[in-house]
Amino acid sequence: MTAMTAAPARPRAPRAASAVPLAAARLLRIELRRNAMPWVLPLIAVLFWFDSYRPSTGQPPIYLLRTFWNMGQGHTIIDFGPFVAGVAAWMGSRDGRRHTRDLVTAAARARYAAQLATWAATAIWAVGAYLVFVGVLFAVYAHQGVAGEPPWWWVAVGATAVAAFSAAGFAVGAFFPSRFAAPLAAFGGFFAMVQSSQTGFRDSGGWALILPTNSNGNFQPDSGIFYRYLPDLPIARLMFLAGIAVAALGLLGLPAWAGGPRLRRAAAVVTVAGVAATGTAVGLASTAQLGPHGIVIPALHDAASDQPIRYAPVCSRAAAVPVCLNPAYQPYLTDVTAALAPAFREVSGLPGVPVRVSQVGALYASSNGVSSQPMTITGRPPVLSLPLGAVLSFLPGPGGRHPRGTAKAFDRVLALLFAHAFVGAGNGAGTPAQQAVQAALMQGMGIPIAAQPSVVNLGPPSWAPTTKTASGPVYAAAQRLTALGPTAGQAWLAAHLTALRSGQLTLGQLP
Amino acid sequence: MTTAGVQSSAPVAGRQPARPALVLRLPWLYLVSRRVPAALGLIAGLAVLLWASLRWHWNVAGGPAAQEFIPLAIEAGVAAVVAVTTYGPFGEPERAAGRWLPYLRLGAALALTAAAFGALAAGAAAGATGATGATGAAAGAAAGGLAGGTLAMLRNLAGIVGTGLLTAAAAGGAFGWVGPMAYLLVTEVALTGTTTTPWVWPAHPAHDRGAAICASLVYAAGVAVITVRGTRNSGRNPAPE
Repeated sequence: MTAMTAAPARPRAPRAASAVPLAAARLLRIELRRNAMPWVLPLIAVLFWFDSYRPSTGQPPIYLLRTFWNMGQGHTIIDFGPFVAGVAAWMGSRDGRRHTRDLVTAAARARYAAQLATWAATAIWAVGAYLVFVGVLFAVYAHQGVAGEPPWWWVAVGATAVAAFSAAGFAVGAFFPSRFAAPLAAFGGFFAMVQSSQTGFRDSGGWALILPTNSNGNFQPDSGIFYRYLPDLPIARLMFLAGIAVAALGLLGLPAWAGGPRLRRAAAVVTVAGVAATGTAVGLASTAQLGPHGIVIPALHDAASDQPIRYAPVCSRAAAVPVCLNPAYQPYLTDVTAALAPAFREVSGLPGVPVRVSQVGALYASSNGVSSQPMTITGRPPVLSLPLGAVLSFLPGPGGRHPRGTAKAFDRVLALLFAHAFVGAGNGAGTPAQQAVQAALMQGMGIPIAAQPSVVNLGPPSWAPTTKTASGPVYAAAQRLTALGPTAGQAWLAAHLTALRSGQLTLGQLP
Repeated sequence: MTTAGVQSSAPVAGRQPARPALVLRLPWLYLVSRRVPAALGLIAGLAVLLWASLRWHWNVAGGPAAQEFIPLAIEAGVAAVVAVTTYGPFGEPERAAGRWLPYLRLGAALALTAAAFGALAAGAAAGATGATGATGAAAGAAAGGLAGGTLAMLRNLAGIVGTGLLTAAAAGGAFGWVGPMAYLLVTEVALTGTTTTPWVWPAHPAHDRGAAICASLVYAAGVAVITVRGTRNSGRNPAPE
């Protein structure tokens, strides 16, 4: 027996095992340094500012509204996706363009692994830049005092979409190595986003909800203010986009030049898993239902997401009646009290006058327009519930979204909603008698009967009958009621208010 | 042995300058090196896409401006293809040896733009005719959904090709597509709002003089820069690989 045979064998395996991740990290570092993505990032930054940030500055200082265009309708993805797909295609086509495919295939490391390192570097640059840009965007919003909660789930969807674009573009470049691969991937990605937007504008349900540019029924007030953003649909979108990315990356490992049989079999499994995830996500989106606070997917829904957001209201007074709003709406408290004060003065002394105004969260609608949400008067003592998020379009000032969003329009819409609630018309046009009294009350609030059709035609509420002129039996009855004078009119109303609210009063029974 | 015999030797075939086949050889080699045949195929494919979009009324929801967005995106795609053909694989040696290079670049840019316009105009006319049943090509293009007709298409295409050529000169021929894509995104925002600047020429009517001048200036600048300087592929300023 010699010393050589007696000596223990050198433990090589641990060193070899540790060398693999080290070599992979080194390869990734090289790819990060050689990547073309940083060259395009300054341009994307400019476009991000122009397309995603700039249009949002005209919105009210509430996260949901500020981010409606760039997150809800996916413009941050549109700004990133095509460029990322193009550059990824350029990186993916590198071996083919340089005719070094055989050289790389003969290297110690499988070509698939080298390709994944190149893709990973591209995706790290792209997703990292996306997160940085969105972080800066939200930091600017925070600095501007934007209220509410940021839509973090939509940020995650955007980052995953960028990764999916990079994977799909990379696959295009790898399989079609040409100088034209990059523009084809970029414009193909852009076309996909255009079609996604088009479908998103049109379809408010079904599989189309999976598209990250579709905001129908899933990005509305008052998410992030009164209740949380429901994560159901974003989770399905994450599955969808991650599935696309995984499937595209799996495809890279299928050709013979990618690696050995085991690696190719593993790549096939990855591809199938990606396709399955994508299909499952589409199936889940097809089961989505519109809930009061957003899109609910039964298989993904967590009841904890339905918990309301706690807040300490900010209050003021309108004609001595306390008006309390969510602090996110504090900038509009003065406007609200100013708009409600004439209404409370008009109904002062009548039975059932609200003793308090409390803001409630607006309910989701199937399309993007939030309408037909009335104020309600409930409880004992009566409290006026004000879904201010439903009339955000009419908020005055620079934050107002509606082209006619002036203080006057806001006052008039609130007066209409108040009178409508006071006569007990509910979530409908109301009886002719209720409509007539509503018109008379609005006249008392300072809105002449002749001008009332223009208030109704401003937009919401959708239940209000649209007329061009203040004519017909309803307006005639309203004019008769106002002709009684304030004292007699109020006395008549006090005597008949219960019958009016129950819908038993007819137009002929009005004075 | 003297050198007298060498001087009087018969001229080799390569030195004969007058034969037409040899005159065309250099442009042909240049076009092949720039993958122009493949580019023409892609342009034809995009023209078919334009035909299909007009034939079956693919539109983006919105007003009249939004409805011209898909044709505009196709025009930008064509411009990107034209811009990417400027990428040359030879770099500095070609610059040093090719005295005809500026003329070849100029000719290729002009010819490809003309071919692109012809293909798109044919696609638009065919699509509009199929959609409306009209027979007049130009009139049909306007009536069938291509806003502004072929005149506006020529303006838009030329301007966006100009942005692509300028981008190719600045960032490298392989990245020439970035300019048309960026311009398309800017235009998308402009089309959704009210824009007055003539630099967003697709948002203006076909006969708007300011928009036409701006598009022409950009195209002229792009062609001039690409002719004189070429793309950013020299050894001093390598483009991203």
